[in-house]
Amino acid sequence: MNCQRTRDTFPDLLDARAGSAVSAEVRAHLAGCADCQREFSALQQTAAVLDAMPTPEPSPRLRKNFYAMLADEQQSPTSAARAAQSPAGARRAAWWRFLLAPLAGCALVAVGFLAGRQAQPVQVAADTTTRTELKKLQEQMNKMGQLVGVALLQQQQGPANERLQGVLVSARSAQPSDKILDDLISALAFDPNANIRLRALEALTPHADRALVRAGVLAALPREENPLVQLELIDFVAAAHDSAATPVLERLAQNEATERNVRDAARTALAQF
Amino acid sequence: MLAVRDGELDALGELFERHHGPLFGFLVKHTGRREAAEDVVQTVFHRMLKYRHTYRDDGSFTAWMYHLARRCAADYFRKSNAAPHTTDPADLQEHADDAPHAAHQATARDDHALLRTALARLDRDDREVLLLSRFQELSFAEISGILECSVGAAKVRAHRALRELREIYLRLQKEPLT
Repeated sequence: MNCQRTRDTFPDLLDARAGSAVSAEVRAHLAGCADCQREFSALQQTAAVLDAMPTPEPSPRLRKNFYAMLADEQQSPTSAARAAQSPAGARRAAWWRFLLAPLAGCALVAVGFLAGRQAQPVQVAADTTTRTELKKLQEQMNKMGQLVGVALLQQQQGPANERLQGVLVSARSAQPSDKILDDLISALAFDPNANIRLRALEALTPHADRALVRAGVLAALPREENPLVQLELIDFVAAAHDSAATPVLERLAQNEATERNVRDAARTALAQF
Repeated sequence: MLAVRDGELDALGELFERHHGPLFGFLVKHTGRREAAEDVVQTVFHRMLKYRHTYRDDGSFTAWMYHLARRCAADYFRKSNAAPHTTDPADLQEHADDAPHAAHQATARDDHALLRTALARLDRDDREVLLLSRFQELSFAEISGILECSVGAAKVRAHRALRELREIYLRLQKEPLT
């Protein structure tokens, strides 16, 4: 094994996933060759700085534009005709919702009962030290609650009661991070259970002043098929006075396939704008 | 993506939620501009919809997505080069994360700011293979498919790009502060 052949294997050595595939012969050469060690160490340092480079988050504009594009495509004559020919997906979704809705309802009652029991007021001595310690503890609990909520929300394939619990835990946070809001928006847009989608919207409502939340709710509105959730979403955009919702509301108001109450609510919201 | 191809367009929303973050990360480092990266992500998903009928289940979806992203980014660079520039693009690329003038202030020698500048000065093809190999959790087999070259060639190009990046980075460290 010479230096050139050893250096040819550096991409594999620098790739953590392929590291084990590098032969013992190469490792032996590297252990005994100072030049190759220097070259490898230099590249390793550069790769480490590169890997640690932070990645910015995209703006809410991206999600909003994507869902607007998707809604346009879904309403195009070609896509509508194809969807009419293959209703299998819709039937499958409806079947899951039918099965999960009662389960989630029971879980909501159980979690609400437990949360109520834990939320008993506590008498605390009002001295400054205690108050400071209590505040610190509350901050820690809040942070822990956010982490638990995110973890539960991320289990999108998990049972409905776990997903519901994820939403409930996240909803407790007074100052949720963008990550939590993002996960709540995902639950609102994609969870197959209408109860969970409603609960996610409820958790998002106090944060309607944040552009991320408004864009997420607006993106969820054209996807929603359940009239109850549609009505709540319309109430949200109307209360937020989000004029960006106008085209979506107009489409809902004009779509004959939409439930009558929903069409009326969309028209009322448009009149408010 | 198979569901999208078969007409369940809602499924593209799930793919968007899962993949748009890493894709944006790749493109913001590649183009050096946040708005451009968002536009290219949008174009990639638009092309997925437009060409969904051509999707084949013979490789990973991620590799297909980066294959599209590479082409969309090339279109962006072509248009961007054709348009008149009032500023040096390398300077714009230093502010990929919108940190205002971070590289020009007291933190000019900050590792990340230097690295952003070094990435911006790297040859576009080298930057592309380097970003694909370090950030996107793609195997060299997948990268070779995206770049339409052999696995060996993809490894050599990634290695050469990393060495070139290091040389630019070291040169920048030696440059006097402005």
